[in-house]
Amino acid sequence: MRVSLSGIVVRFGALTAVNDVSLAIEPGEIHAVVGENGAGKSTLMNVLFGLVKPQAGTIGIDGRPRVWNSASDAISAGLGMVHQHFMLQEQMTVLENIVLCAEPVGPLGFVDFAAARRRLAESANLHGITVALDREVGRLSVGERQVVEILKMLYREAQVLILDEPTSVLTPQEKDRLFEILRSFRAAGRAIVLITHKLDEVMEIADRVSVMRGGRLVTSAPLAETSKEEIARGIIGGELPPLRQRSARTPGEAVLAVEGLGIGRRGRSVGPLSFSVRAGEIVGIAGVSGNGQAELVQALAGLKPASAGRIVLCGRDITGLSVAERRRIGMSYIPEDRQRMGLALAATVSENANAGRDDRGGFAKGPFLRRGAMAEFARDIIRRFDIRVAGPSALASTMSGGNKQKLVVGREITRATPLIIAENPTWGVDIGAIDFIHGELMRMRDAGHAVLLVSTELDEVMALSDRILVMYEGRFAGEVPGSEATRERLGNLMTSHLGQGSAVAA
Amino acid sequence: MKLGDGIFGREIVPWLAVVFWIAVVLLVLVELVGASFGDAVEGFIQGAFGGRRFAYLMATLSRATLIVGMALSVMLSFRAGLFNIGGEGQLVAGGLVAALVGIFLPGPPLLVLAVSILAAMAAGAAWAMLGGLLQLYVGVPLLVGSLLLNYPIRYFASYLVAHPFRDVPSGMVQSHLVPMETWLPFFPGTRLDIGILFILVAGISAIAYSYTTVHGYQSRLNGLSPDFAKTVGLPVDRLALQTLAMSGAIAGLVGAVAVFGIHHRYIDGSLVQPLYAWTGIIAVLLVGMIPWLVPLSGFFFAAIQTGAAGMERTAGVPKEIALVVQAAIILFVASRVSGALLASSDRKTDGGSDA
Repeated sequence: MRVSLSGIVVRFGALTAVNDVSLAIEPGEIHAVVGENGAGKSTLMNVLFGLVKPQAGTIGIDGRPRVWNSASDAISAGLGMVHQHFMLQEQMTVLENIVLCAEPVGPLGFVDFAAARRRLAESANLHGITVALDREVGRLSVGERQVVEILKMLYREAQVLILDEPTSVLTPQEKDRLFEILRSFRAAGRAIVLITHKLDEVMEIADRVSVMRGGRLVTSAPLAETSKEEIARGIIGGELPPLRQRSARTPGEAVLAVEGLGIGRRGRSVGPLSFSVRAGEIVGIAGVSGNGQAELVQALAGLKPASAGRIVLCGRDITGLSVAERRRIGMSYIPEDRQRMGLALAATVSENANAGRDDRGGFAKGPFLRRGAMAEFARDIIRRFDIRVAGPSALASTMSGGNKQKLVVGREITRATPLIIAENPTWGVDIGAIDFIHGELMRMRDAGHAVLLVSTELDEVMALSDRILVMYEGRFAGEVPGSEATRERLGNLMTSHLGQGSAVAA
Repeated sequence: MKLGDGIFGREIVPWLAVVFWIAVVLLVLVELVGASFGDAVEGFIQGAFGGRRFAYLMATLSRATLIVGMALSVMLSFRAGLFNIGGEGQLVAGGLVAALVGIFLPGPPLLVLAVSILAAMAAGAAWAMLGGLLQLYVGVPLLVGSLLLNYPIRYFASYLVAHPFRDVPSGMVQSHLVPMETWLPFFPGTRLDIGILFILVAGISAIAYSYTTVHGYQSRLNGLSPDFAKTVGLPVDRLALQTLAMSGAIAGLVGAVAVFGIHHRYIDGSLVQPLYAWTGIIAVLLVGMIPWLVPLSGFFFAAIQTGAAGMERTAGVPKEIALVVQAAIILFVASRVSGALLASSDRKTDGGSDA
């Protein structure tokens, strides 16, 4: 099935999200659509899938123009989409989720699950997919859930598959498995659209790459005719930032010292963990997601009680203190989940920028807010961190992911506390914003702040850290100096108990 | 300008549709009982806004005072993400304490009145905070705890005025009268007591609190996203208790206003049966918790209730049918609630930029 988009225009109020874009999607091809957050790639795909109505332009299927009134029109025409946030009913089994809205009905009006099972087994075997059909979706890992979404599309015999940032939640192994499945789809003559901003993935799997910037299509060419550098230039509309140079620096006193910290968690507990972060260094904590990093960060931030050990910040024992007291003593925290923890999306940019600041005196007069001062401060952050937003009184929810993250980083970093905890600070953020955030963290290190970087992105940890601790099953599997870190060495530590017990850092 | 257009498009047009459907239901029901549609509508409008020297309008305002007061109480807690639906219990606590202090505290009337009102507010606040404490320390969700706390205080109040403090000669289940000198006076030439002024002050304070104070800002952030509030170190537990205390204090104030302005004693069921607290909740949800719209919405509900009574008096529409009309009106109006709530995040900022 051949799909063509021609002259698509989408406007949201004053903003033109997609500006006169024409694109052809060929069967048997993996077509990567890349661009920064807010470049319009998701909106364009939502048009193709019938979720957004374009102001102008047409969709053609095999040469015939079509108009979607809803996503179900697009589905019945043979399109399928896996959204970044999965659309699954957690209390139902895999099988029930897959047949939902397309149930095979037996003669008496009951759902014929046996028939569905047979059909699924066939197509799953064909593409080498294995998944337990009777498990509850709520018990599946993120990677397995994605497989369920893909099976859903297979079951509906989608000829064109759209995947929105499919690898952002996967471990390297899960990603490899996904790509195997996609290759098998390509061999079967299906068309695959991959929305992503990870260039390595594009280079690995795509046949054709389309670059979007600011709502426009910059280029669309076969992968062979372009290069990684050219694509990157197209995405950011300029030259690539130079590689980061790390200035040699002798770390100072320990700002954060953790001794024998234990954190209770359902199933296995985390800890005991001992380490320290000194002034003027970035300590990276690497590991596959789910090995206790989240618990460690929450215990440090004061969101989860410690079951053993102590945490010392700036010479004070903060083990039993509240979030507010810890922040006052000298901690900033950039949480991984900007939607839920980093920002109040329904509040304005100005209100978000001011939340949790201890210099309230500047923003309040007695019990009253000084809205002018708050807005002025927000404008300052917007300017300094180059945040693209209508203004201080715009809702936080109106910003793209990268800009949301910059606001969180801006709010926390400008507090200039001795310790900064950054938890996956560039998750789902575009190249420009990643570089900017990395630069800010590095700048804080050079200015003598202690930075604890917890990240599942190995590249990020290796690029920034002076020392790297690797977590595995709730413990540190080892420590590697930043200068000696290689993917292989860290990768080995990430999956083994090697060196356990010797991980007590200075 | 743009704001006005938006409000017009989003608010006025749907409301015209609501009015239209209400008229249709009214027509059908009135036809059913054989009364005249014109009479019924006239009776409704007269009953809500007319009367000799606007006596009915004053009745509407008097009722609106209590509904708006309860709506303000609910608004404060709802905006902070605290589903305190125990307004009824806090209202009863306030009314009961106001009456008892008014009856038993000796002293100059003005002082007695002032102390009674403050005591009523303290009682309402305490009852509301009890729900908060149950949530924080026992783990009973506020939605459940605050609702269940309505019952003990209601029946306790019933017991007190049925037995120890009963005005036995009156033959009714009610307390003695508070001294006449402490009664809230009427506005000159009307039968409307000055209780509305208390609610006006409370309303202005509540709106100013929501938009201009640090506490209001923080508790709103907590309401919008509790995880966010915790992460940035807002004192969420303290905010919750303080907000509940304010919410309960306003409910207590409403109870005192009802006692000193209308009943002049605590009559069993007098604060519960008219459903002031529940109507207040609907009145707040209706306008998506936007503070400055709450008084209008409260007045609207009061008008429906007095209007339906007027329809019964003048158009001979039986009371039951009037009640059905009233219920239908609330249903139609409430059907706008879901939409209003969905859009509420939008409009919260509209309101915010106004302030």
